[in-house]
Amino acid sequence: MEEKNSENTEYLLKIENLNMKFRMPTLKFDTLKERVVNFFKGKKNPKKELQVLENVNCEIKRGESLGVIGHNGAGKSTLLKIVAGIYRPTSGKVDLKGNVVLLNLGAGFDMEASAEENVYLNGAILGFSRKQMKKRFDSIIEFAELQDFVKMPLKNFSSGMISRLGFAIAIDVHPDLLLVDEVLSVGDANFQKKCIEKINSMKEKGVSFMFVSHNITQVKNLCEKTLWIENSKIKGYGPSEQVCKEYTEYCNSIQKK
Amino acid sequence: MTTLKQWTKNRNIVHELIRKNVKTQYRNSVLGIFWSVLNPLLNMLVMWMVFSQFFGRNDPLYPIYLLTGNVLFQFLRSSTTVSMTSIVNNRGLITKVKIDQYLFPLSSTLTSLVNFAFSLISLLIIMLCMQLFGGYALYGYQILFMLLMLPAFLLFQYGISLFLSVLYVFFRDIKHLYNVFLTLWTYITPVFYKIDNIDPGSIAYKVLRLNPMYYFLSYFRDSVYLLCNSGGGVPSWKILGFLYLLGLISIAIGYAIYLPLKNKTINYV
Repeated sequence: MEEKNSENTEYLLKIENLNMKFRMPTLKFDTLKERVVNFFKGKKNPKKELQVLENVNCEIKRGESLGVIGHNGAGKSTLLKIVAGIYRPTSGKVDLKGNVVLLNLGAGFDMEASAEENVYLNGAILGFSRKQMKKRFDSIIEFAELQDFVKMPLKNFSSGMISRLGFAIAIDVHPDLLLVDEVLSVGDANFQKKCIEKINSMKEKGVSFMFVSHNITQVKNLCEKTLWIENSKIKGYGPSEQVCKEYTEYCNSIQKK
Repeated sequence: MTTLKQWTKNRNIVHELIRKNVKTQYRNSVLGIFWSVLNPLLNMLVMWMVFSQFFGRNDPLYPIYLLTGNVLFQFLRSSTTVSMTSIVNNRGLITKVKIDQYLFPLSSTLTSLVNFAFSLISLLIIMLCMQLFGGYALYGYQILFMLLMLPAFLLFQYGISLFLSVLYVFFRDIKHLYNVFLTLWTYITPVFYKIDNIDPGSIAYKVLRLNPMYYFLSYFRDSVYLLCNSGGGVPSWKILGFLYLLGLISIAIGYAIYLPLKNKTINYV
């Protein structure tokens, strides 16, 4: 009994004192010529430091889901990219005990390649061989409802079709943690419903989600806890019901001003 | 993740990238993959007709000399120029999934190897015709030594590719500079002229001897047809060792720029 208890409290993801700074050049020099010319002119290219996330702490237990809300540019997507390992944080610790898949708009696709090639390429990036992906291929295409477009280059796809494909791949590779960055908002109502059903059934199987969305109702329904980021800092963290309420009140108060 | 697992994963990614590159290359052509053999074959015939009118009239094997030089140099040219933009062109992947960036120049280099193989087939077809209808001895066991040289040449190209692809992230105009450099490099490599015609005391000769491509090309020609035609023997082991040394130096230079910058590139692609 005790053992089971300790398993339940084991965390899947733990973020401690996370800071992320970008050093952005204020002028865009991206040719050698510009560099040389500006060097002789004595013009420097000062770097501006941009703090995107400041002292973020949060935790996700196995099977638990975390919603991430906040205004545009608050740092939500950056947080997800750090968890996915695309960015390296400036300081702080990200401890992840499992494999993770990030799902965002145009998720790692090559627009010139066909849907089929992209499924295999994405599979390889997620650590699956061609043989393993072949077994999953039909169910992925079926879930994405793209049977008639398998050989078509992705540049001819609509944004909804692309996000459907991304979602279908991500759910089929069985991650421990699935990071969802506003993907559901692109699909039509039917597909959204299908996705939410799938998410719920995956949650029952013990998959955790980190869910960035502007749809507060969806966040409330899908996530036990919610993280509210405002201007790169945590403004609220706790049970979804409470944090979402505070966020809605905050949004309303801003609108009134 | 364990190193072995990571290695298998990266191997799968490279495999898929090459497949994708080769497929997109010939997507809109009717002849498809057959084009890859026909295209170099036609090019070779044109070169043969044009060049043999101007150069090497006294050497009946001059066309083969020219074609071997061209096939090998074209391999270098295409692998490095395509690789140079490979990291930037895959920004859609780099900024959205976790992936080692060196895989892009690596797979572009290996895609060029596929194209090189097709060019080689056309070259071998031409050589076969010359052997059958011209009576020249061209095919010997020495051709197998070419396979020993290829890994060294791939290392050499991959090092340059990695170096250029990282540099291109920060300086987009090196594309034009490298094109100029490639033109220069073509002229200081004995692709269509012969080094025996140059005075060993001249500066031109010394420059030639400093050019790594000179050694790769000499070994390539020796193994593909020269040694067989001139009576036998095996290509020099000393030069082969030197080619591997060149490959390792090139890789070292490539990684010397890649490793310290790999975490910065993502902000500039």
